[in-house]
Amino acid sequence: MRNLYRKLSLTMCFLLTIASVMAQERTVSGTVTDETGSTMPGVNILLKGTSSGTVTDGDGNFRISIPNDQAVLVVSFVGYTTSEITVGSRSVINIQLTSDVQTLTELVVTGYSVDKRRELTGSVSTVKAKELTIAPTGNVEQMLQGRVAGVTVITNGQPGTTSQIRVRGFGAFGGNSPLYIVDGVPVDNVNFINPDDIESVTVLKDAAAASIYGARAASGVIIYTTKKGTKGAGKKLTVTYDQMVGVTNPGKGLEMLNPTDFAEWTWNAIKNTEDANALAEGRATNYALALSNFNHPQFGGGLTPVIPDYLRVGSQNGAAIIGPVDLAAQKLLYNIDPRNGPIYNVIAANKAGTDWYDAITRNAPVFRQTLGFSGGGEGYRFYVGLSGQDQKGILLHQSFKRYALRANAEFDVRKNIRVGVNTQFTYRQVLGLTGDAGGIGSADDENDILSAFRMPSIIPVYNVFGGYAGTAAGGFNNPRNPVASRDGAMNDRNFNGLGFGNVYAEYDVIPGLTLRTSIGGNYGNYAYKYYGRWQYENSENNSAFTFGQGSGYNFGWTFTNTANYKKTFDVHNVDVLVGQEALNTGAGWDMSATGLNPFSWDPNFVNLTQTSSRVVNSSQFLGVNFYSLFGRVNYSLKDKYILSAVVRRDGSSRFGANNRFGVFPAVSLAWRISDEAFMDALPFVSDLKIRGGYGAMGNSNNVDPNNQFSLYGGSLGASSYDIGGSNSSAVQGFYRTRIGNPNAKWETSVTKNIGFDGNIFDGRLDFIVDFWEKDTRDLLLAVPITATAGPNAAVPSVNIARMLNRGLDIAVTGKGKITNDLSYEATLNGSFLKNEITELPPGQTYLITVNPGYRGITPIRNQLGGSISGFFGYKVQGIFQTQQEVDAAPAQSGKGIGRFRYEDINGDGTINENDRTALGSPVPKFTGGFNFVLRYKNFDLEAYTYVSLGNKIFNVSKWFTDFYPSFQGAAISARVKDSWSPTNTGATTPIFESASNFSTNTQSNSFYVEDGSYLRMQNLSLGYNFPSATLSKIGLTRVRVYFSTNNLFTITKYSGLDPSVGGAADTSFGIDVGNYPITRSFTGGFNIGF
Amino acid sequence: MNNKVTKATALTLILSFVVMYSCDDSFLDVPVTGQLDQSVLSGRLGIESALISAYAQVNGRGNRMASPSNWVWGSIRGGDANKGTDPGDYSDINPIQRFEALPTQGVINDRYTGSYEGVARCNAVMKLLASAGPDVSDALKTSYEAQTRFLRAHYYFELKRHFNNTPYVDETIDVGSGIESVKNDVDLWPKIEADMDFAYQNLPETQPQVGRVNKWAAAAYLAKIYMYQNKFTQAKALYDLMINPDGTGKVVTSNGKTWGLVPYYPNVFKASNDNHEESVWAYQAAANTGSVNNANPEFDLNWPYNTGPDGPGNCCGFFQPSFELANSFRTGADGLPLLDGSYNTGANQLLTDMGLESDDPFTPDAGNLDPRIDHSIGRRGIMYLDWMKFPGKAWIRNQPNGGPYAPKKYVYYESDKGSLQDNSSWTPGYTAINYTIIRYADVLLMAAEAEIEVGDPARAKTYVNAVRTRAMNSVLMDGGSPAANYVISLYPAGDTWAKDDATRNKVRFERKLELSGEGHRFYDLLRWGVVANTVNAYLAYEAPKLPSGALVGATFTTNQDEYLPIPQGQIDLVGSSILTQNPGY
Repeated sequence: MRNLYRKLSLTMCFLLTIASVMAQERTVSGTVTDETGSTMPGVNILLKGTSSGTVTDGDGNFRISIPNDQAVLVVSFVGYTTSEITVGSRSVINIQLTSDVQTLTELVVTGYSVDKRRELTGSVSTVKAKELTIAPTGNVEQMLQGRVAGVTVITNGQPGTTSQIRVRGFGAFGGNSPLYIVDGVPVDNVNFINPDDIESVTVLKDAAAASIYGARAASGVIIYTTKKGTKGAGKKLTVTYDQMVGVTNPGKGLEMLNPTDFAEWTWNAIKNTEDANALAEGRATNYALALSNFNHPQFGGGLTPVIPDYLRVGSQNGAAIIGPVDLAAQKLLYNIDPRNGPIYNVIAANKAGTDWYDAITRNAPVFRQTLGFSGGGEGYRFYVGLSGQDQKGILLHQSFKRYALRANAEFDVRKNIRVGVNTQFTYRQVLGLTGDAGGIGSADDENDILSAFRMPSIIPVYNVFGGYAGTAAGGFNNPRNPVASRDGAMNDRNFNGLGFGNVYAEYDVIPGLTLRTSIGGNYGNYAYKYYGRWQYENSENNSAFTFGQGSGYNFGWTFTNTANYKKTFDVHNVDVLVGQEALNTGAGWDMSATGLNPFSWDPNFVNLTQTSSRVVNSSQFLGVNFYSLFGRVNYSLKDKYILSAVVRRDGSSRFGANNRFGVFPAVSLAWRISDEAFMDALPFVSDLKIRGGYGAMGNSNNVDPNNQFSLYGGSLGASSYDIGGSNSSAVQGFYRTRIGNPNAKWETSVTKNIGFDGNIFDGRLDFIVDFWEKDTRDLLLAVPITATAGPNAAVPSVNIARMLNRGLDIAVTGKGKITNDLSYEATLNGSFLKNEITELPPGQTYLITVNPGYRGITPIRNQLGGSISGFFGYKVQGIFQTQQEVDAAPAQSGKGIGRFRYEDINGDGTINENDRTALGSPVPKFTGGFNFVLRYKNFDLEAYTYVSLGNKIFNVSKWFTDFYPSFQGAAISARVKDSWSPTNTGATTPIFESASNFSTNTQSNSFYVEDGSYLRMQNLSLGYNFPSATLSKIGLTRVRVYFSTNNLFTITKYSGLDPSVGGAADTSFGIDVGNYPITRSFTGGFNIGF
Repeated sequence: MNNKVTKATALTLILSFVVMYSCDDSFLDVPVTGQLDQSVLSGRLGIESALISAYAQVNGRGNRMASPSNWVWGSIRGGDANKGTDPGDYSDINPIQRFEALPTQGVINDRYTGSYEGVARCNAVMKLLASAGPDVSDALKTSYEAQTRFLRAHYYFELKRHFNNTPYVDETIDVGSGIESVKNDVDLWPKIEADMDFAYQNLPETQPQVGRVNKWAAAAYLAKIYMYQNKFTQAKALYDLMINPDGTGKVVTSNGKTWGLVPYYPNVFKASNDNHEESVWAYQAAANTGSVNNANPEFDLNWPYNTGPDGPGNCCGFFQPSFELANSFRTGADGLPLLDGSYNTGANQLLTDMGLESDDPFTPDAGNLDPRIDHSIGRRGIMYLDWMKFPGKAWIRNQPNGGPYAPKKYVYYESDKGSLQDNSSWTPGYTAINYTIIRYADVLLMAAEAEIEVGDPARAKTYVNAVRTRAMNSVLMDGGSPAANYVISLYPAGDTWAKDDATRNKVRFERKLELSGEGHRFYDLLRWGVVANTVNAYLAYEAPKLPSGALVGATFTTNQDEYLPIPQGQIDLVGSSILTQNPGY
């Protein structure tokens, strides 16, 4: 900490010094319009030769400080000619832009600077800020799906969820999240940002663009810049108000058997089992005996099942309840409080069938509003945004709230000195989120969504007296009432307060040379509480009321100093940047506690003090420190030949002293062919640039900071023992928790990129194409160590593996006018991706340590030559049709008629573990988005479609719903109506029977693997802008109303709820146990400016 | 532009760069939080806590397959019980009970790694002892070493009887010093004996804390190790030190109680009676400690199903005693077991409520029974501890797959709810009942075996009758009269015991009845050399009883199923030239 103070005080000293420099500076303001005279928001205005600039507000107004009358403003916007305007003595400058073929003149916020797209040599994509606001997502990163070529986004429908955001594939076995930079400060996620506050988003994809961020750039860098306001004398305040109101519809669940079919198929299972047993024992089939032995608690033991009127009365199950039930008498016996003695539940059968998905979901409203104040004056500019979003999830008691205050301001202390501040305070609350890793892990959780498909439809949600019904009624195995489960979380709360921002100063020492210093911080604190019900309605109940609460905080900081020099000598253009950065990723404390059984369950009464059996846990963390130096040189000759070289040297506390520093260089070249004389022969080519880049980026996310140490630790769960025989307490013991590797170093991603930026047919068609390869070497892998060394010790990560990602990114924009009133704009973003594990530790062919199990099924193998998270198991050739076929087939445990016939991969006549093979990959081969906008007079119609192709899904939820012995008695999918039988020989679902073995439901096999490709109409919206002439009469500058529908339809062959299946870890995703679907929503809203 | 200021500024900037740069080395040293370096543990308290962790691992710490109860490996494989529950529930156990084990099975890997974690923790203590600080006296060192080597012998003993030979690693070898290339071609028995003998030679007779092993626990364990190798003479020599000729105990437990049989059989398995005179070595379980890993997590599935608050556990219907075991408690008119195996025929078979609803009328079997049945097996119509009369099907998850019975040992009482039982996890099936790894009855019956082979068979009879006497005194009462028709007596004076198979069979059958469900049976059958015949007879009898077909077609294969396969993942890791797979896999 002392170091930090020293650095800070030095900086202050530096700032005071430069503050003493006096100079003349003034402000100009104006309005930017297009050819039709409409104002243009979001136009970039840059002071030529500097990195300072501004953007027009929602009204097309800008305000900018200029050092002197010679200042030149560079005004640019996508699709329009860039104008350079010398200010002269004017204080108000109104600018009209003309649409232009040279769309590459747009300015792009890149690493530590703002550059012209025209001069870029690396692979950089931008997203229009407006596109981030069209759908009511809780996390702005979800909106990048299909919007950026080369970025894969796999997400789910929970408001406030995290997502898998991957820039150019999966570079490592973990830690593949991109680096996020908000206003120059690196952060782990951007869930605190209100989309309406964002001015621009840039994605740096290859080393040439990203290695300025060195050690943390290997997974790409996504840079968010927030709104700033405009400087200029006489500027008036612009106020904008945006509102969105909508509703998300949960859609339909999966088709399950109704009560009658459920009983009938239960009987079919018994009969099929009897067939198999009789065959094995060489006797005649006796259904009557089998069914009377089976004797279902609800449906009886006769040749046909009897559907009861009641499922449970006291201790009696349906089949035993004879005659009418006197509810008045039962009411006196009724007891659902376990503290008051035995449970006495009275559950009627729901013969109409309960739709459990419908019961746990609802139409979920969303409401978002943002009030923006943007303005400036002589020597200052500011933006203040106040926003609130309140969104319910389609699952009961699930909600997302975010209230944010953003305040950005910049002041000209002198004409060549600027100080500025960006701040944001966010209150964020996400309730009822399912799944770990912030929600993305819901895909493979046994959560309430899975429960909805495990609860037999004959069970009602509530008992006859208003309490819960459930599987306490015998015969339905162990699913728990998911409505009760949701209701149990009704009073759970959490509170997250986030403060984020930076203070910076810029000093234009001499023309072209700008020094900048910035210190940023990121503070978060959080508190939460949750309740666990003492259940009574299920066959397997929690036997206590639990209460838990916790809280903590973290604080991270970043200190950055840069010097940037830009100079044009004749035809030579030079831009040099050097910088230094120190940061801490976040230090803090947290604590949590749980307790049991307070006297009253009233949430207003319950606190930890009122509970017994309290357990308290706490932890502290110090974060990771980085210290870095970096530099970049851009050189262009005649604006035709462009060279860029970047290098960054990073030191990180994640690594031991042996290998603490890494150096990450990159070079790139560009050649603007269209400026060559020989291209005059092709007049339809307005602009064409070839880019090539090569370089290295680092990644250290996938290694624990403790990896360098051998450590001992202990916990109640892992190593405590009641040595004194107290029966109620345990003494802590210590065991080896980690084996260290002091020599681990950075993973290095070497990227090669060849790209083309072009513009043809007078700007009607603009394209960016990149062929790329990312080769990650020295991949850190926790190489398993023989169990004899103690399997509980975390094994050290060693730089030993290698992974290759290759792809093609395409972004094409076409636009034009059909008539004077009718224009269109179409954008296509597409990415092809191939991911391959190319090296593993010597002698190993797969990641032995990554082998997640789902009820005994282990679907994942990260295999040499295969993709990350590849599926692995037996290949189902078909279903055994006859005993002759069974007898003739290779030896296979449990084989039989109607069961899976596996392929004998190695041809040795026996099906065993050596016959398992790769069954597909969850990594999409192609993802893309197509956006189409039609504008007619004041109307605009926009349609956005997303497509993901070539990804497979391991639908292990079928284990629960398609096989009788997987918790027999639980719900059954309607799919089993098409299961194999002697009269339905073409089925792919095996025979419905009791046996649970190698040939039925216990193995990972291709039956569970499905094509996960899909096409989704993500957004369709219609907007109307009121004519400005009308508006000006009532003092308004802009009014827009719109109506929009999201996720209107999805085209897919996938049989599960939704094909967007992610996962908490990159080495094991694409597994669907209880995936949370993305469903249709309707929103409408308006934007007002005055 | 003021040139001086510019220069000053540039200089300041450069200086600040330099200052930061010069600081960066310490800036990049961020200390570890919440964990310790090995050097911190070299003092007395550190070694003590390392030893605690070695004790802690004895119950597998939530790894059900590495628990000392060995309910799958010892009991289910030995025919005491079947998996029970649903066919698809924890289906990784299905191939185990059918003797169709695959080297890739997770449960097998769990059994293996769970023991090696124990070995590693013991080795860590040994390593710390070698560099112990000055506050560790020689006496203390010896005590720590003796306890540690006791535990290490235990972990290797488990590995030996499950996998035959596995790599032997001690404190002299570690990662980077060749641990990866240790083969499994060395007989583990001498190593196990050496460790346990050191413990026996150096441990005190009593300990200040009851959880610590004592000299006589080591002696009993060492004798057991000898018995596994048919070293009857060495075993008998130890047994003679521990047992009086009349079958009473000569020596003491860690807490100073003279060894003896708990007078009332079910009190062996009762939390409120933990650390009784029969507890030669027990795992000290504790409830409500903050983690259910301290509360017998290996039993969390092994409870009657859907009991609600009327019964214990509530979940999940695993570990259902077999028809064959229940029948074994049938006694003749003479009060002795039916040693000819006729208990599995005709009317000798126990009457069950198989196929009956709990509301259907049922009268429990009226024939002669050993009273231990109703302390070992939950069956319809008989009081289930202090809960209620076992209601049959209502508490059975899936009769066609598991039969009509529920386990009854190591079950908590209604009166223990919340105090000696732990409600902090997903199921209430966690208890503070110590798991008795070696109890005096086990010692007596093993000693009886040794007496038959190398001592006095009459003395064996005395031992067996001591066990039976306690059984006779353990009648389950129901409203003032016995809960069933208990007919049990001692082997009479006129019954001559000799060094022959008939006598061996008496001891072995007594062992089956006395220790059922306690994880001994399979290994006993193996060391007696009768495993294939016994298990196959069991499977043939039991399979038709379970209409789900759970055991249909299952057979024990000689020269294969005696030992589990070495986990495939471990072989993949170090290579098949280092780790040799067991025969048959």
